[in-house]
Amino acid sequence: MTFEFEAANIPWITISILIPLIAAGVLFFLDKRFAKPISIIVSAIVFVISTYMLFAYDYSSYKIQFYEKYSWIPQFGISYEVGVDALSLTMFWLTALAFLLSFIWSVNIKKRVKEYFIAFLVLEAACIGVFVSWDMVWFYIFWEAMLIPMFLIIGVWGYAERIYAATKFFIYTFFGSLFLLIGVIGMYVYQYFHYGKLSTSYFDLVNTNLPFGLEIVFFLLLALGFAIKVPMWPFHTWLPAAHVQAPTAGSVILAAVLLKMGTYGFVRFSLPWFPEASKYFIPVMFTLGVIAIIYTAAMALAQQHIKRIIAYSSVSHMGFVTLGTFALNVEGMNGAIITMISHGLTSAALFFAAGWIYERSHSYMLKDLGGMAKYVPVFATLFMISAMASVGLPGLSGFVGEFLALLGTFKTNVWFAALAGIALVVGAGYTLRLYHKTMFMEELVDKNIIHKWKNTHDMTTSEFLAFIPLVILMFVIGIYPKWWIDLINTTSISILSKFIGG
Amino acid sequence: MSIIQQIVSAIGIPNFSVLWPEIIVLITAFIVFFEELLTKNRTLITATTVVGLLVAFVSIFFIKQGDITLYGLYIVDSYALYFKVFLIASTLIIIGTYRTYFENKEIYFGEFYYLTLFALLGMMIMVSSINLFTFYVGLELTSITTYILVGMFITKRKELKDYDYKSKEAAFKYLIIGGAGTAIISYAIAFLYGASGTFDFIEISKMTFSEEPSLGLIIGLVLLIIGLALKAAAVPFHFWTPDAYEGAPTPITNFMAVVVKVATFALILRVLIQAFPYVSEDWSYLWAILAALSMIVGNFIALRQKNVKRMLAYSSIAHTGYITAALAAPTGMGFAAFLFYIVIYIFMAIGAFAALSALEKSEGWTNHIDDFKGLAKNNPFVALTILVFMFSMLGIPPTVGFMGKLGVFFALIGSDIWWLAVVLVIMSIISAGYYLRVVSVMYMYEPLKKFDFNINFTEKTILFVMAIIVLILGIYPTLFWSFSTNLSTMLIAHVGM
Repeated sequence: MTFEFEAANIPWITISILIPLIAAGVLFFLDKRFAKPISIIVSAIVFVISTYMLFAYDYSSYKIQFYEKYSWIPQFGISYEVGVDALSLTMFWLTALAFLLSFIWSVNIKKRVKEYFIAFLVLEAACIGVFVSWDMVWFYIFWEAMLIPMFLIIGVWGYAERIYAATKFFIYTFFGSLFLLIGVIGMYVYQYFHYGKLSTSYFDLVNTNLPFGLEIVFFLLLALGFAIKVPMWPFHTWLPAAHVQAPTAGSVILAAVLLKMGTYGFVRFSLPWFPEASKYFIPVMFTLGVIAIIYTAAMALAQQHIKRIIAYSSVSHMGFVTLGTFALNVEGMNGAIITMISHGLTSAALFFAAGWIYERSHSYMLKDLGGMAKYVPVFATLFMISAMASVGLPGLSGFVGEFLALLGTFKTNVWFAALAGIALVVGAGYTLRLYHKTMFMEELVDKNIIHKWKNTHDMTTSEFLAFIPLVILMFVIGIYPKWWIDLINTTSISILSKFIGG
Repeated sequence: MSIIQQIVSAIGIPNFSVLWPEIIVLITAFIVFFEELLTKNRTLITATTVVGLLVAFVSIFFIKQGDITLYGLYIVDSYALYFKVFLIASTLIIIGTYRTYFENKEIYFGEFYYLTLFALLGMMIMVSSINLFTFYVGLELTSITTYILVGMFITKRKELKDYDYKSKEAAFKYLIIGGAGTAIISYAIAFLYGASGTFDFIEISKMTFSEEPSLGLIIGLVLLIIGLALKAAAVPFHFWTPDAYEGAPTPITNFMAVVVKVATFALILRVLIQAFPYVSEDWSYLWAILAALSMIVGNFIALRQKNVKRMLAYSSIAHTGYITAALAAPTGMGFAAFLFYIVIYIFMAIGAFAALSALEKSEGWTNHIDDFKGLAKNNPFVALTILVFMFSMLGIPPTVGFMGKLGVFFALIGSDIWWLAVVLVIMSIISAGYYLRVVSVMYMYEPLKKFDFNINFTEKTILFVMAIIVLILGIYPTLFWSFSTNLSTMLIAHVGM
C-alpha cells in the first residue's frame, strides 16, 4: 500500500495532546478552585480543534492529513508520527467531546478536586494520542500511559469495591497489551531481517508480507491486547466491575473512549497487517461477536444494578462492531465505525443518566427506583431518547451503525447475521426494562420513594449542558447519516483494500 | 609537571594521569578518615566527602579516553568513564541522604562516609579492570566495605534495638554468603589461570578463538558466572539480598541496591565480552536461565511481602532478572539494552529507596504497607514521586522503565528467544500486583496513623529530580540509547560478536 500525506500547517494534533498535559502540570501547583474552569476551558479548546479538523478534513480521497513526523530514537527507527484519517479523526473527535462533557458533568465533584481533574486531563492526552499515533511505539506509549490515570480514577473516586475493580482493570489490560507489544516487536524484527528496514512506523509495517504461520501468531498476539480492551467475550469480566465502581465521568470515558481503542485496534492494525489471518479467523471472530451480543444481552437482562446493565449492553454493542469489522466488506466496516461513534454517544448518555439517578436516589439498584418520569420530565425525555438510540430505533444513531454492520455480516454469513439480528430483540428488552423500571411503574413503588421524587430537582445546568449535545448528535447521525458515511467511506475502502482490491 | 606526575614518571608508569579520579576518591577517603579521628565535626566530614566527590566527578571529564595503565592491568576507556560518571554521581546523591537519616536514628558515625568512599573506589576499579587480578581487587574492596556498612546500625536507643539486631544479622549473613562468593570467584580465577596461563581478559579470549575451550576454561567460566551472579543477587544465589537490604540502614540499602549493583553489572558485561566472546552461546544460555529464575522467584516472593523495603529488595532481584535477560541475546542490541537498563535502574531505585529513607525518619514508621495508607493525603509530593518510581519499575510508559524493558524485548525477539520474552511479560504482569498495591494504598485508603513527616530540602530535591529524570528519559531516551549503543559497539568492536 502506498500512502499519501498532507502535512499539517499548524501542528493541531500535537497541540491537542500537549494542552491537557501542560494544564495538568500547571494545575498541580495551583489552588484547587482553578481546577474546574481550567479543565473545562482546556477540553473545550481541544474539542474546538477537533471539530475544526473534522470540517477541514478532505474525504474525497484517502490521505493521512494533519500529518506530523519527527525523528525520536533513530537507533531503533522510532519517530513521533501523528496524523489522522477519517477513522482516527472521528475517534479523536469523539474523545474530545466525551472529555468536554465529562468535565462539565464533573463540576459538582467534591473529593480531592485537583487530583481528579489532573487525572482526567492526563487521561485525555493519552486517549487522543492512541487514536492519532502512527508510530507503534508511540501508540503503545499512549495505550499504556492511559492506564495510570484510569487506575487512579476508578480506585480513588469510585465506590465501595473500587480498589479491587481498579486493580482488576489494570492487570487485565496490562496483560493483554504486553502481548500486543511482543507482537509488534516481532513484526518489527521480521521486517528488519527481511527488508532491512528499521522502523516502527505503521506505514512501513503494513507493507510487511508475513508468511501465513507468522501472520496467525502475530494476529493472535495483537488480538489478545485488543480483545481485552474491546472487551470481547470471554475477556470482558473486568468491565462490569470497572463500570460499577468507577465514578460517573470515569464510566463515561471508559465506555465512550476506552472501549473504542480495542475495536480501533482491530480495524487499524489487525485487518491491514494480517489479511490472511483475518480471513482465517472470521468464523472465530464472528462466533465470539455473536456470543458477546447474545450472552451479554442476556446477562444485562438479569441485572439489578443500572451500571451493570449498561456495562453488559456495552459488551453487547461492541459485538456488533466486531461483526461489522470482520465482515470484511465496506458496509460492515462503515457500520462498525458508525456503531463505535454511536455507542460512544449513547453509552456516555446512559452513564450520565445512571450518575444522575444515583445523585438523587443514592442507589443504582432497580428495586430502589421507579416512577420517576412524571416528576423529572426533562431528564426522563433525554434518558428516553438515549435509551432508544441505544436500542437502535430508526432515526437515531444506533440504528444506522447496527443496520450497516448487520448488512455487512449478512453478505458474508447469513447465519451469524440472523443470530445477531435476534439478539437485537433482547437488546430492546433490557433497555426497555431499564427505562421502564427506573422511570415508570409508579403504582408499584413505595410511597416514600415517590415522595422523594416529588422533591427532586430536575437536571442542573451543568448536567443538562453535558447531556444535551449527546442527544442532538444522536439525532444528527440518525437522521442524516450520509455525511458520516461519506466521511468514513474512503477510509473504510482503504483499510479493506487488501480484501476488496480497492 | 606536578610533583605527583614527577614521582610517577620516575617510577615509570605510563598514562598514570588517567587514575586521577581514583586518586582523588582515595585521598578524600583518607582525609575523611582523619577528620573523623580528630574532630568528629559532622559538617566538615560531609562537606569534605561532597567536595571530594565533586572534584573526582569533574576530573573524569578531563581524561583522554582509551588509555591502559598500570602495565596493562587497568583500562580507562569510554565504557569505564561512562560508568564512573554514574557511580560517582549516584554515590553523591545517596550521601546527600546520609546525614539526616543517621542523625535522626542516632547512629551517626563518620565511618559511613569513608567506608562508602572506599567502596566507591573499589567499584571504580571494577569497571576499569581488564585483568582478573584488578577485577578481584576491585570486587573485594567493594564487598568488604559493604559488609561493614550493612552492620553499622549501632544504636543505644531501646526502641531501635530491633533494627540494630537485624543489621548485625544481615551483615553476618552477607559476610558469609559474600565470602562464599569470593571463594567461588577465586576458584574460577585459579581455573582460568590454570587453563590459559594468563589473567588478562584479551589473552583469555584468544584461547577460545582458534580452538575448543578446554575443560578448565569452561569450569572457570561457569564458576565465575556463579560468583558474579551471587554478587549481583541473581536467583538461586540471592539468599543474602532480602535480609541484607532490610537490615542495612536505608541509605546503605540504597547504596548497595543501586551503586554496587550497577558496578557489578558493568563488570559482568565487560568480563563476558572481553574475556569470553567466542563462547557467548554458552554463557548466554546460562544467563537466560538465571534471568528467568530471578524474574520468577523475585516477583513471586515480592508479591507476598508486607514490608515495602523487603518488597523492594525482592523486586531488585526481579530487576536483576530483567537486566540479565538482555545477556541471553549476545548481540550489540542485547548489550545496548543491558547498558541502558542498568543506567535507568539507577534513577528509579535511588528514588524509591530515598523516599523510604526520608519517610523512615518519622516516628513509628516501619515501612509496613499499612504505614503507606493515605500517604497521598498526608504527603502528596512524596506519594506522587513514589507513584512515578513504582510505575517506572513496573514498566508503564511514559516512565523510563518501559524503555528499559522495551530494549530487552527488542533484543530477545531479535535473537528469537521468545520464551524468555514471554517469561518477562508474564513476570511483569505479576509484578503489577505488588507495585500497584503500594500505589493503591497510598491513594485509595484513608490514613491509619498520623505521622509527622520531616522531609528536608535535600531529600525533596533528590526525589523531585529523580522523578523528573524518570519521566524525561521515558519521553526522550535518545541520548542514553546512543550512549548505550556506542558503548556496546565499542566493547564488541574487536571481538567480532
